Amino acid sequence: MAVRSRLVDAPFDADRALGQFLAGLGGGEGAVVSFVGLARLLSKKGSRIERLTLDHHPRLTKRSLARIASAAAERFDVSAIDVIHRCGEMKPGEVIVFVAAAGPHRRAAFEAADYLMDRLKTEAVFWKREDAADGSRWIDPTDADYADRNRWER
Amino acid sequence: MKLLFFGRLADRLGREILISAPPEGYSIAELREIIAKEHPQAEADIRRSSVKACVGDAFVHDSFRVFEADIVEFFPPVSGG
Repeated sequence: MAVRSRLVDAPFDADRALGQFLAGLGGGEGAVVSFVGLARLLSKKGSRIERLTLDHHPRLTKRSLARIASAAAERFDVSAIDVIHRCGEMKPGEVIVFVAAAGPHRRAAFEAADYLMDRLKTEAVFWKREDAADGSRWIDPTDADYADRNRWER
Repeated sequence: MKLLFFGRLADRLGREILISAPPEGYSIAELREIIAKEHPQAEADIRRSSVKACVGDAFVHDSFRVFEADIVEFFPPVSGG
């Protein structure tokens, strides 16, 4: 089982991340699902976002990424998981998060990617601030984010 | 005692505040009250139950006592992705 999680403080290329993930597979996989999250151009109120800042914790952020990646690997029939998460300041259009899951069949790979994102949205140790034309806002998880996370409670 | 703040709390209070603790220490609840009184700009946030206190990389309850040598971190709700 190849489980990897990384915290990066500079822009990264999701294409390259997927290429590396594919190149590292063992050969028994029949399915790969990846997801890329991007910094939005518009806030919920429709104002133009100039900058997104992800504050993070010096130890617990990396630990939360590793814990979530390992939980996905244990829960689903997958052979490889990769999570890459940005921190610091970024511009609209830049990649915030990349997740990938590979396994023998597609269903488990889709579910693992979905699960990874639901947990990252509500449990990864980051604090997100949007600086927009009409002011700055800290973005908390929404009720829908928590509901999505709770779908996976056993 | 060192207090560290993240997210919106860091905007309101800065990353770090140093305070002196009495020999019997403070409970987390007492610390919240001290911060609220001394830093009114953070009063509403620091009193929220959704803001968690963390000591030694573990969440602690409001009754937990901390002492001069401790580092106490305050976390607003986290959100990645």
